[in-house]
Amino acid sequence: MSSPHEQDGATARGAVPAAQDPRPGPAGPPPDDRAPAGEAGKRGWWRPEMGLSVTVLALGVLVIVGTLDVSAATSRLGLGPRFFPILIGGALILIGAFYTLDVVRGGRGDPEESEDVDADAPADWKSVGLVSGIFLGFTAALSTLGWVLSASLLFFGLSVALGAENKVKAAVIAVVLGVLSYVVFVNGLGVSLPGGLLQGVI
Amino acid sequence: MDSLQALLEGFATALTPVNLLYALVGVTLGTLVGVLPGIGPAMTVALLLPITFTVPPASAFIMFAGIYYGGMYGGSTTSILLNTPGESSSMITALEGNKMARRGRAAQALATAAIGSFVAGTLATGLLVVAAPAVVDFAISFGPEDYFALAVLAFTAVSSVLSRSMIRGLASLGLGLVIGLIGIDEQTGQARLTFGVDQLLDGIDVVIVAVGLFALGEALYVASRLRHASPEVVPVGAAWMGRADWRRSWKPWLRGTALGFPFGALPGGGAEIPTFLSYATEKKLARGAAREEYGKGAIEGVAGPEAANNASAAGTLVPLLTLGLPTSATAAILLAAFQQYGLQPGPQLFDHNPALVWGMIASLFIGNTMLLVLNLPLAPLWARVLRVPRPYLYAGIVLFAALGVYALNSSAVDLVVLFVLGLLGYAMRRFGLPIAPAVIGMILGPMAEKQLRRALAISAGDVTTLVRSPIAAVLLTLAALALLTPLFRRLWARRHPAVAASTHRPPED
Repeated sequence: MSSPHEQDGATARGAVPAAQDPRPGPAGPPPDDRAPAGEAGKRGWWRPEMGLSVTVLALGVLVIVGTLDVSAATSRLGLGPRFFPILIGGALILIGAFYTLDVVRGGRGDPEESEDVDADAPADWKSVGLVSGIFLGFTAALSTLGWVLSASLLFFGLSVALGAENKVKAAVIAVVLGVLSYVVFVNGLGVSLPGGLLQGVI
Repeated sequence: MDSLQALLEGFATALTPVNLLYALVGVTLGTLVGVLPGIGPAMTVALLLPITFTVPPASAFIMFAGIYYGGMYGGSTTSILLNTPGESSSMITALEGNKMARRGRAAQALATAAIGSFVAGTLATGLLVVAAPAVVDFAISFGPEDYFALAVLAFTAVSSVLSRSMIRGLASLGLGLVIGLIGIDEQTGQARLTFGVDQLLDGIDVVIVAVGLFALGEALYVASRLRHASPEVVPVGAAWMGRADWRRSWKPWLRGTALGFPFGALPGGGAEIPTFLSYATEKKLARGAAREEYGKGAIEGVAGPEAANNASAAGTLVPLLTLGLPTSATAAILLAAFQQYGLQPGPQLFDHNPALVWGMIASLFIGNTMLLVLNLPLAPLWARVLRVPRPYLYAGIVLFAALGVYALNSSAVDLVVLFVLGLLGYAMRRFGLPIAPAVIGMILGPMAEKQLRRALAISAGDVTTLVRSPIAAVLLTLAALALLTPLFRRLWARRHPAVAASTHRPPED
């Protein structure tokens, strides 16, 4: 394992506050993988995994800053609602700092092994982007198009993006699943799903 | 004997036709998701959490327990028939199991896995019957500081043991704890970390977190580096084994059970370590033909670990039911299911809801028997499930993930949160952060906070109350020791380089 320059740790830590500027959203920040995997060493101290480690650190700051407004009505006995967040925020900052340090010093997490994953393959950003786009498109279209249409499109889009060769077959399965899930869950289990354009047809 | 009496009444609950049906649905679903890559029992139970609004608790838990046990059976089928590591709990099974399958002994490998799982599951459930009331008697005196210490132990143990790199385990835990903070503080009614988004006031639902981290995260991860070659499934008929196989299997089954149950019951013990230890033990004890076969497909190397992972599943239920302490991702989701019913697992649960607890335990015996029947003759069917084309499989997983999350509140905001958590799940997989600590942190975090605040309220803010109870002091010491496990593991890896190299990569300095 090429373990690069130890003294760079200081520089990297100095750079951390700057790197945390893309303030993560409330629900947990989108992981930051902008740097493509594989060419880590050539970019000085930056490594893709630091996107995650710095996010952990930034989240710790966010927890402490984000609960500043939580104060009033601390009961006389015991602790207010800010105590635990400060504890967790502090721990997260500590963990994030050590994590970042570990990455800077050449530590690497092993990509998870799984049946369908080729752990040595370079990341296929086109597929990830496609899958993300299709899912967000589905989210946006759901209330207008209704469950049956948007779910069918979701399935069709994803299966083709993931390499289904027979598009007709994929389309047929998509429609069957879309209709079947609607019928089973809405009529059978009483779940409410939007009817959309097909409202009244099914 | 008290618990025997209670168990018999439990069988009366579990043996009603409706509950038998729930058990059958549970074990079938569990086997299916165990066999299928990309989904596991934790996510399946999470997706089914909404049924808690309509189904009586005993039936729901009978089904959930069936899914949990079924997942352990199903995982072994994948490991044996497919030449890639499956779920972490059956990873070791692949070492010898797949080699056996390739030598034409797939039927025997599947049989020793299924029968071993049955033997171990039944024995370990019996141990659960004995151990649970004993732990309840002990835990009845626990104060809030003891429960807080217990949660801290679970946090550090799970983070340090489940990951190859402790800092990554802790990072995962921290992410989960933060997610658990979001929403209104129960005791003061103050909103925390909601950033003005009204939908976040109730916190982020467990279903969204589990489905996002597991299902969507996995789908994105698979998309990023899909193995394009079609999976190579070894063909197999009905599972069976001959006399010699029985003779070679029964001792590993028993030893695997003995290793699996206690590790499952320990915080952070999990299923991975006992399978690992069982494999090493059987290898050491192998004589004659077995010794020569080891590494080329020895049946002992399948029988032991498979018994161990099922026994650990039963072991996991001890701290979950008696203390409300989850030690695996699936157990954490089960805890969330209890909370949806307004129930808190712990000593009181055995007093107030004996029918529920003992009905669930009795159903484990029944479910195990069903699983044996499902897995021996139907092995070829499950093998066919393994051949599902991956594009359809993952598209379907995402579709049902979206359905399950949208059905919660009919809210598109939930779907966006799901996507963000999916990205987080992706990054965690990509960089080797284990998912379980995050799930446990999210579910156990709020309880840890409640107990901590309660303990400090009772002591009027005196922090030493946290260590004055001997139980809490011992638990916190153990929690601190858990943070040193990477050290122990390095020593162990040095002494067993062969096993360590084939599964765990030794931590890098």
